Amino acid sequence: MFKSVTPLVSPGLRILILVSLTVFCNPLSGSETNDGKWRIVNYWSEWCAPCRLEIPIFNELSVSLATSNVVILGVNFDEDPMDVTLKIAEKMGIQFPVLSQEEVDALALNSPNVLPTTYLLSPSNNVVAKLVGQQSKQDILEALTLQGLTALAE
Amino acid sequence: MTKKIGSPNAVVVGALFTLGLLMASYAGGQGLLTRLPSPAPGNSSLSRVVASEAGEIYLSWVSREAQQVTLEFTRLTNDGWDATRVISRGSNWFVNWADFPVLSVDSGGMVAHWLQLSAAGNYDYDIRARFYRQDKATWSEARTIHGDGVSAEHGFVSMLPLNDGTTLISWLDGRETVLKEPPGAMTLRAGIFDKSGATISEWQLDDRVCDCCQTSSAMTQNGPIVVYRARGQQEVRDIYATRLVDGSWTLPQVIHNDNWQIAGCPVNGPSVTAMNKQVAVAWFSAKDDVPKIQLALSTDSGLSFSEPVVVESPNTNGRVDTTILDSGDIVVSWMETAGEAKILLSRYNPSGELLGTTEVASSSASRRSGFPIIESVGDTVYVTWTDIGATPQVRVARIDY
Repeated sequence: MFKSVTPLVSPGLRILILVSLTVFCNPLSGSETNDGKWRIVNYWSEWCAPCRLEIPIFNELSVSLATSNVVILGVNFDEDPMDVTLKIAEKMGIQFPVLSQEEVDALALNSPNVLPTTYLLSPSNNVVAKLVGQQSKQDILEALTLQGLTALAE
Repeated sequence: MTKKIGSPNAVVVGALFTLGLLMASYAGGQGLLTRLPSPAPGNSSLSRVVASEAGEIYLSWVSREAQQVTLEFTRLTNDGWDATRVISRGSNWFVNWADFPVLSVDSGGMVAHWLQLSAAGNYDYDIRARFYRQDKATWSEARTIHGDGVSAEHGFVSMLPLNDGTTLISWLDGRETVLKEPPGAMTLRAGIFDKSGATISEWQLDDRVCDCCQTSSAMTQNGPIVVYRARGQQEVRDIYATRLVDGSWTLPQVIHNDNWQIAGCPVNGPSVTAMNKQVAVAWFSAKDDVPKIQLALSTDSGLSFSEPVVVESPNTNGRVDTTILDSGDIVVSWMETAGEAKILLSRYNPSGELLGTTEVASSSASRRSGFPIIESVGDTVYVTWTDIGATPQVRVARIDY
């Protein structure tokens, strides 16, 4: 599990950003964004072999980080309708939440040029790391550590 | 690929669709853009435009209704689009925005393919094809073009009619990801097929290629050339070419050392076009996370290539296609992502100097907008793309240079 060492954005600014997103971008609900959590956002596609190889790692992390301030989220690169996306996610064995296109838009992420790509977002939804290509569990943990998120238990 | 102008269809069709359809005109290196009525229904996508040697324009697309997927095509005639014809339909296809059916046309017939899920394996699919014989006016039964019998990924097909009525088909073949232990890499394979779909010959062209990028092929004066995204041992995934010379494939040769190292899928294959000894290859890369489209030229049938010119960087997500006009000018289609996404056509002279860029349509960087595809007849370029909205629909336009 991880704990944030240093807040990157002041609470006031964080609230301003979140309010702006909520009002103008039809984004994630307030309860999902205004939670002070770091987000690991993994872009995947069903036809992407390295994406499929990564999924068990993110499943495992989603469990081990469940009580931390880091959440794992998935994005279907193919932008299928949500009902289709959820079926594909189930087929792929994805056990972490998958974002709708509206939720992706709210995060203002640039669609990656390569699959898989994983973004690490600060609680204020700033991209602080972009991990391109297939990642190992260690890669993800190192990315978190670089952001001052310390592993409490392994 | 360019086709000879002179077909009555190619000449007359402009008059048929001009009234009310003219969107904009351009001077210099830019073209005169005319939107054509779409023959495809709502909920259509994954279109391709292809020309016969006689200069007739064919359009193929995929339409969906509930769980049923249908591959259809039509032909542009003096009276507009011909009746739509169904090539195949099914409910067990692998339908993908980047890996979609190809229609190939020659004087003796047609070939079309689609991807069909294998009986076993969640993500395994076969390349299925039907062959149309002009002399018998019939389509063959569907057949699987790869003879491995292995449940694995097969796709990213390109087709090239040869001058003897046969067709060169190249594809990505995942058999070694299943047969080898530890799993092997995706391979590039090609075969020549006769009019009935029988395999005349089949080769492995490269034993380690990028898993999810399109292949492309063209006919030069000295024979076919196939281009693709390779995969080095250190995960450098640059664009390579191999040529069929005197019955043998040359060792794959890099077009340009971009040194783009990625352990992932760019989903952005190269495009090659050729006329006589003139060859042009366009491709996308994003080394250091900087998107770039480049164009390299050859005047010796692909034996060697020039240093590339940059078509665009960084405001692009690639999705390139290419064609050569009768004038020898090269047209590259690509997607611009600065602000609202746009489909653009950039025209270059044979020396690689930019003559002008034409905006075809506003689009979306979304995957559902797919890959715009271009084809030329004489000095006219036809372009097709998917207009996404509540209901996606295939669109077509022509650009007269």
